[in-house]
Amino acid sequence: MELINAFAVSLESVWLDSGFYSFTIGNGIMILVGLLLLYMAFVKEFEPLLLGPIAFGCILANFPRTGFFDEMGVMMAISYGIKYEIFPPLIFLGIGAMTDFSPLLARPSTLLLGAAAQIGVFVALLGAMLVGFDVHEAAAIGIIGGADGPTSIYLSMKLAPHLLGAIAVAAYSYMSLVPLIQPPIMKALTTLEERQIEMQELRPVTKFERVVFPIVATIFISLLLPPIAALLGCLMLGNLFRESGVTDRLSDTAQNSLINIVTIFLATGTGLTMSAESFLKADTLLIIGLGLVAFMGGTAGGLIFGKIMCKMTGGKVNPLIGSAGVSAVPMAARVSQTVGMQAKPGNFLLMHAMGPNVAGVIGTAVAAGTMLAMLK
Amino acid sequence: MINKIVNLLEVMKKMDQPVTTNPFVIMLINMTVVFIVLVSLSYLIKLIHIIDPTKPKETTADEAPKVAAPPPAPIVEEPIEEGIPAEVIAVIAAAVGAYGYSVGQIHAIHPIHNNSAWEHSVTYPNQRLTH
Repeated sequence: MELINAFAVSLESVWLDSGFYSFTIGNGIMILVGLLLLYMAFVKEFEPLLLGPIAFGCILANFPRTGFFDEMGVMMAISYGIKYEIFPPLIFLGIGAMTDFSPLLARPSTLLLGAAAQIGVFVALLGAMLVGFDVHEAAAIGIIGGADGPTSIYLSMKLAPHLLGAIAVAAYSYMSLVPLIQPPIMKALTTLEERQIEMQELRPVTKFERVVFPIVATIFISLLLPPIAALLGCLMLGNLFRESGVTDRLSDTAQNSLINIVTIFLATGTGLTMSAESFLKADTLLIIGLGLVAFMGGTAGGLIFGKIMCKMTGGKVNPLIGSAGVSAVPMAARVSQTVGMQAKPGNFLLMHAMGPNVAGVIGTAVAAGTMLAMLK
Repeated sequence: MINKIVNLLEVMKKMDQPVTTNPFVIMLINMTVVFIVLVSLSYLIKLIHIIDPTKPKETTADEAPKVAAPPPAPIVEEPIEEGIPAEVIAVIAAAVGAYGYSVGQIHAIHPIHNNSAWEHSVTYPNQRLTH
């Protein structure tokens, strides 16, 4: 009899300690959301490198009683990497090592397209405040329009950490949907004649320019906007590794091993913020809707400024490269190329669109720094 | 007046409040700052290009010689340095060609004598780590 009692008590104890006992409907819904994201990542191949770990982190975050955040362990360490803004700058280090700034250096006027495309950020900020988000939350939501995942996460953690999961999912989802979102806007805002414009070949850029630019840009922007010195400094340091010609090993590590490792941690950590209590809110749907507005606004802003540049240069600039002013490197530039080729086969816009594309990365970081300076 | 505004902004910052919560003002200020920063950056890029000591000299129409150019010098093939067998040159040219470059891009092939750094890097590639 005593044995049976002990057995029953032990079983009850195991049951009470199990995740099943504390499992809620919210956890179930979020696990389904995680499975849906996994499907999108691995079957539909929407940003699988990012959405995959985000989705799995989301599933992990919704197991009750895991104690992930009760004491230091791997999950808490990963979360600290996000909480203390360690991962986004490291991702930027890798992006810098992968990015060729030559198209931007050859045609600096394309920086204006990167600036114009930031209008989406502020349109979404305006919309977010109109639907009731406070100014900090609205700024964090608006930055989705920059189409820059690390910057979105960086700003969210500083201004509205409770919205991080929704903002990261919206940002990365829309970045994967760039080839679907942008072309209709590009075709609606440009004429066939404009899309057929062939641009002059870019001038050659010397090694001196490619090495000096990241140094000068870091000094100038970091002094002007210190809150983004870590982000921009890492971007430019990575680029310096690439361009110096004597740090190939560092460049190789930054653009391969390091960025891959940090991507796993960043994406998994982002998924871990998607617990039922923080994600299952009406606000999440609003954020996803506003993110789309931001993306569309940024694309339209770049295109309209591209049209202005086209007029001012007497038809030498194809306005399609303006849509690449949203960051999403290099996918947005590829979309410009694709739409340009549809209008006129043989019209290669890719290298011309890379200028505004990398300008968009800098522009989004500057927009984030300005908002931090104003609102923090 | 400007001093008063600056003081007000500083006081609000000290109170840990955002400078403004008017979305239109935020939008206007931010877009202005983004444009100013990126336009400044474009001028810095132009400045870097101007001071670049390595850029190839651009010849304008005014600078073009007004007299007829002298007849081109007869093309003299550069003598192959002694000590490099023709087979080795053929192999190097083939290797360059295999990487997708034109063989015509090869300007010269020199043997390396007494270059300890090169020899060292070839012999002990893994010992060049600095940490």
